Amino acid sequence: MASGVLAGRSHSVCMVSDFFYPNMGGVESHVYQLSQCLIERGHKVLVVTHAYGCRKGVRYLTNGLKVYYLPLKVMYNQSTATTLFHSLPLLRYIFVRERVTVVHAHSSFSAMAHDALFHAKTMGLRTVFTDHSLFGFADVSSVLTNKLLTVSLCDTNHIICVSYTSKENTVLRAALDPRIVSVIPNAVDPTDFTPDPSRRDDSTVTIVVVSRLVYRKGIDLLSGIIPELCQKYPELHFLIGGEGPKRIVLEEVRERYQLHDRVRLLGALEHQDVRNVLVQGHIFLNTSLTEAFCMAIVEAASCGLQVVSTRVGGIPEVLPESLIILCEPSVKSLCHGLEKAIAQLRSGTLPSPETVHNKVKTFYTWRNVAERTEKVYDRVADEVVLPMDERLDRLMSHCGPVTGCIFALFAVLNFLFLTFLRWMTPDYIIDVAIDATGPKSAWTKQYFLGKKGRVKEQPPSSKNAQMERKEHISC
Amino acid sequence: MEERRYRSASGASIALRRRQHSASCRELAVRCPRLRLRSLSAATSAAWLAAYGLFALTENSMVLSAAIIVTLIGLIVYLHFMKIDQELLLVIGSLGIQVTSVYASGKESTTFIEMSQVKDVVINEAIHMQKVIYYLCILLQDPGDPQGVSEVVPLFQSSKPRLDCLIEVYKSCQEILEQRKTAPQSSGIK
Repeated sequence: MASGVLAGRSHSVCMVSDFFYPNMGGVESHVYQLSQCLIERGHKVLVVTHAYGCRKGVRYLTNGLKVYYLPLKVMYNQSTATTLFHSLPLLRYIFVRERVTVVHAHSSFSAMAHDALFHAKTMGLRTVFTDHSLFGFADVSSVLTNKLLTVSLCDTNHIICVSYTSKENTVLRAALDPRIVSVIPNAVDPTDFTPDPSRRDDSTVTIVVVSRLVYRKGIDLLSGIIPELCQKYPELHFLIGGEGPKRIVLEEVRERYQLHDRVRLLGALEHQDVRNVLVQGHIFLNTSLTEAFCMAIVEAASCGLQVVSTRVGGIPEVLPESLIILCEPSVKSLCHGLEKAIAQLRSGTLPSPETVHNKVKTFYTWRNVAERTEKVYDRVADEVVLPMDERLDRLMSHCGPVTGCIFALFAVLNFLFLTFLRWMTPDYIIDVAIDATGPKSAWTKQYFLGKKGRVKEQPPSSKNAQMERKEHISC
Repeated sequence: MEERRYRSASGASIALRRRQHSASCRELAVRCPRLRLRSLSAATSAAWLAAYGLFALTENSMVLSAAIIVTLIGLIVYLHFMKIDQELLLVIGSLGIQVTSVYASGKESTTFIEMSQVKDVVINEAIHMQKVIYYLCILLQDPGDPQGVSEVVPLFQSSKPRLDCLIEVYKSCQEILEQRKTAPQSSGIK
């Protein structure tokens, strides 16, 4: 498969994000899956993130995906502290030794991603940024982050958003030219989310909710829906997976209406358990108040559930109308939508889980995402990186007189720092890292030994495994 | 015996000397650049100038004598405990691996690892200060678990040779380690 698609250019991509495994979440799996599919397409990919506990140094994952866990201080919510400068020596060293051509930063919450963009632009590398979240415009924190985003993105080569709503949001927040913003949705692994109708109890109707129990996910709406529908339909059951500060609200509702046997709160779920919860239900309910691209409803639809969701953010783009019932974010409208779904279920007009699964599985695949991302890289590779003077001009004209000037000064300082580092350790002193990526990597080749011995006898992964084990000891 | 010049991770010039005592005994030595007179005199004169400045301010001659003593002690400590001139790796197939560091003062510190403890010699990557470097290390066998590694002994810690030099050393070590592995097997099975 790899040789067939190798026709295009091969890029050396460095994914930078504060969020990567062993932390769990949407951005983490996005980075991992995208990297794997890009490796499959013949590119060299490495991931740079910060150290998680004792997991620091260099690690190798499947297919030789190299991960650098840099020892940077974590400030808040797994995001590193930023001074704009302190990460330059290490990042520069990595960019040089890996011969990186494209720096791809992920998530606007990640300080490290913004730092990497800043340094990459100083070093004259091409930059791509993927935004995974929606922001408001009104409160103080979003005004500040929007300003930072404007600064960070004004001279970035290309920006990727996960949905059209997210694109609109990002373009407005960061005052961007919409032509340099592409939309590439997320994907799900359809083999992880297969339907299993035998697991559900057809004598009842089960509504599944899987989300973090926070305000943003509309848990207050859910607490209004539960008593109303439970009174109307005696055979209705709720299955709620997830943990969060709003759990107490749901527990109160359960207590007040004596619904202990019909509303089950499962608490926090591991990613691999989500499918087992989903297949137990008939209807999936999503009550989010804001969402850039809702992975949960795709996963639910892939498991063959009828999806009922609020019409907010990028959700209307995600699934075709036949697979989803969209409602306004109010208790009344959501109840109406659920009643409609229950009526359809009873009359048997819903398509079977298998047909839904087969339909959904073609929508969002990682291979497709990788293909489209590759096009972005190809396009970016042809563009020129702004030289220093134009970059300063852009910063000052684009980001307002005060912020613009401050960050232009930072850019100059960063450049001076880089010049100093280049004087201290010139690029030719830095060893080029051995390319371990992909099926044709150095680990499978006869790289170290000219003779026919050991390397051939060992399975290709054993060297990595040794290194992996070694690091376990050292920490 | 052959000698080749390489560079260290920080750009300094180092020399790798290989000496073949017998088929299963090999000595590898990495020599760092010696302490240069220029840097020595620069450090000394900086310390003494500072002391003289302090003396001009306080007019206390104790400062000057203290400065002389401090530089002398500092130099001795540096030469005796910090500055490593040469790092030697003696691999004897039937016996073990001996790691020696020769300090600038002539002091030697030696560790010996028995061959039964040596699991493998590998090149690994690590983040060191503000750099990501390759280094060579000996993996020690975990006595409880035949697959496990109990400890990692990094080699050439002060000279930090670059990858091309490390690969040379790695190959030499592997040649001998391989003899060890094939020898008992062939006699045992056949």
